[in-house]
Amino acid sequence: MSKIMEWVDARLPVTALLKSQATEYPTPKNLNYWWNFGSLALFVLIIMIASGLFLAMHYKADANQSFDVVEHIMRDVHFGWLLRYLHANGASFFFVVVYIHILRGMYYGSYRKPREILWWFGVTLFLIMMGTAFMGYVLPWGQMSYWGAAVITNLMSAIPLIGEDLVVWIWGGFAVGDPTLNRFFALHFLLPLVIFGLAILHLWALHAVHSNNPVGIDLDEEKDCIPFHPYYTIKDLYGMGVFLIVFCAVVFFVPNLFLEPDNYIPANPMQTPAHIVPEWYFLPFYAILRSIDFLGPFSKLAGVVAMIGAIAILFILPFLDRSPVRCFRYRPLSRQLFWIFVVDCFLLGWVGYNPADAVTLDGALPLTVVGRTGTAIYFGYFVLLWVITAFDIEKHSPVPKSI
Amino acid sequence: MNIMTTRGRDERAGQTMRLGARVKPAGVWVVVLGLLAVLLPRGGVASEAMHLPKQNWPFVGVFGQFDNAALKRGVQVTVQVCMACHSLKYIKFDRLRQFGFTEQEVKAFAESQGRTKKDAMLSGMDPVLAKDSFGVVPPDLSLITKARKGYEDYVFGILTGYASESDVALARQVMADGHAADGEVREVAATLHLDPNHPEKIAETLKRIADGGNFNKYFPGHFLAMPQPLMDGAVVYADGTENSKVQMARDVVTFLAWAAEPTQTERKALGFNVLLYLVVFTLMLYALKRRIWARVH
Repeated sequence: MSKIMEWVDARLPVTALLKSQATEYPTPKNLNYWWNFGSLALFVLIIMIASGLFLAMHYKADANQSFDVVEHIMRDVHFGWLLRYLHANGASFFFVVVYIHILRGMYYGSYRKPREILWWFGVTLFLIMMGTAFMGYVLPWGQMSYWGAAVITNLMSAIPLIGEDLVVWIWGGFAVGDPTLNRFFALHFLLPLVIFGLAILHLWALHAVHSNNPVGIDLDEEKDCIPFHPYYTIKDLYGMGVFLIVFCAVVFFVPNLFLEPDNYIPANPMQTPAHIVPEWYFLPFYAILRSIDFLGPFSKLAGVVAMIGAIAILFILPFLDRSPVRCFRYRPLSRQLFWIFVVDCFLLGWVGYNPADAVTLDGALPLTVVGRTGTAIYFGYFVLLWVITAFDIEKHSPVPKSI
Repeated sequence: MNIMTTRGRDERAGQTMRLGARVKPAGVWVVVLGLLAVLLPRGGVASEAMHLPKQNWPFVGVFGQFDNAALKRGVQVTVQVCMACHSLKYIKFDRLRQFGFTEQEVKAFAESQGRTKKDAMLSGMDPVLAKDSFGVVPPDLSLITKARKGYEDYVFGILTGYASESDVALARQVMADGHAADGEVREVAATLHLDPNHPEKIAETLKRIADGGNFNKYFPGHFLAMPQPLMDGAVVYADGTENSKVQMARDVVTFLAWAAEPTQTERKALGFNVLLYLVVFTLMLYALKRRIWARVH
C-alpha cells in the first residue's frame, strides 16, 4: 500500500495535499456549532446531485409527459418515491442550511478582510443555487411549476428595450411551454455541476485565508488551532447525523410539508391558480419584488431591480462594514441591527406568502404597507451598518486578545 | 499549560453567558415573529370558504395505518358513485386485489366502466360528454387528497358540505316572495355558515340555491359544477356497514388517500427503521466526539 502511495506521490503529491489541506489543516479550536453548516451544505449538495442523477434516469422533459412521469417515479420505480422526496425536500433543507451559513458569516464578520473573495464565491453560489432551485421546481410540470415559471420569467420583460424579446427567447415561444421545460431540464442538470466547481473554489479561497472564528480575531496557528482531523471530522459527522435525523423525519413522515398542493394538479395554461406562490425560500425576495408598487409604469422594473439588489448588495457588504472589529458579539449596535434584519426576513417571508392585495389586523393594515416597511428595513440594515461603522457611531466592547 | 487552558475556558464560559444574556431578547423576538408568521396568515387573510373541520384519520401520522375494511368500502363507493364521472388514471383495477377483492369482483368493477381488469381505473363517461353536461371535465381523483389545501379534510368537507334538502327548501321559501326579510336572512346564514354581515350577498346565494345551483359550504366560491354525489344509502355495502353519507364519505376519502400515494405505508415503515438507526448512530457519533474533544478541553 505504502509502495503504491509512494509511486503516486512521486507523480502527484496526494498525501501531502491531504495532509496540509485535510488531516493536518489548522482549524480554530473555538469554532461553535454554527460552523457546521458549511460542511453540511456540501453534504446536502452531494445528496441533491446523487438523488437528482437517479431521478434524471427516469424523468422525461415533455409538457405532455412530465407530470405523469413524476407520478410514475412515485408509484412504479423502486424507491422512486424516496428519490423524489429526498430531492424535493433536499432543496428546502439546502436553503435552510445555506441561509444559516450566510447569517453565521454575517454575524461573525466572516466576510471581512481578508475573506472578501471567499464571501463573493459564496454569494455567487447562492445566486446559482436559486436559479437551479427555480428551474428544478418547474420540472414536475404542476400548476405551481408552470405559473411560477410564467411569473418569474415574465419579470425579464421589465428590462427596457430588449425585455419583451428576451422573454420570448427564454421561453422558446410565446408562452411558457415544452421548449421552456426542455431547456430548464438541461440547465437544471448542468448548474449543480457548476455549483460543485464553485464550491471547490469556495473551499480553496477558505483554505487560502483559513477559517474565521466566533471571536473574530486573527489566531495564533500554533496555540489556537487544532488539526482538522480528527476534531472537525468527528464534529462535522455528528452534525450530519443530527441533520439527517431532522431531514429524514420530514422525508419519511411529512414529505409534502414544503410542497404546495397545487403542484399535484397538472400544469394548465388555460387556468391560473387563485394564488401563485413561489417556494418558501424565495418568499422574502418575492415580497421585496412586489413591495415596489408605487412607481406607476416603472414599478415592475423597480421591483425587479430591488429584488436583484437585495442579493447583489451582499457583494459589497465587505466594504460597507467599516468596523475595526469583525465579530458582532463585541458590537452592540450591529448586533441589534442584525437581529432586526433576521426578524425582518421572516416578516418579508410572511408578506410574500400572502396575496398581494391582502390586509391584516382586521383590515387596518394593507399587507403592501408591511411589505414596503420590510423592504426598507432589509436595505436599511446595510445602510445603517455602513453609517454606524463608517462614522464611528458604534463603540465596540473590549475584544479578547486571544481565545 | 493546564492553568492557561482552564482560564481560557472560564473566559469562554463567561463570554457565552454574556452572549446568552444579550441574545435572549433578540432570540425571543425571532420566536415571536416566527409564531406570528405561522399564525397570522389564518386570521389575517380573509378566505371565501369557511374553515374546514379537522377529521381524525387513522391512516395519517407516523404510526397511521390503513383499515382494509374501510379501503374495500371506499373502493365500492368510488367505483359505484365517483367513477360515473371521475377517473383514477394512476391505479389499475387489478391492483384492487391487494385489499382482498377476488378476481371476479375486480373484473366486475372494471366491466362496470367498460374496461378490463388490466386497464387503469378510467371512468366510462366520455370526457367530451362530461364537459357538455357539467361545463368542466371532472378532475382525475388519483391525487385529489394531495392536490387541495386541507387534503383529506377538504375532500371529506366537499362530500358532506352540500346544502341539505331542508336548506334548499328554506332557500326556496325565503326567495318565493322575491326578496329576503332580515330575520329570515339571519336564520339561513346561520344554517349555511354564511357571513351575516352581507345580506345582499346572502340573498344572491339563496337565489342561486333556489335555482338549483350546487352550493357547498367548503368550496371556495361556494358553487361548484358537481351536484351532491353522496346521499344516505347511495351504496349498499358488501360488508353490511351502515351506508350513511358520512360513513361513505369517510370510506371514499380513505381509499382516495391510499390512491394518492400507494407507497405511503412502505415509506412510513422504512422511515421508522431509518430514524431508529440514525438516532443510535448519531448518539454514538456524539459520544465519540466528546471523547476526542476531551483532549482539547
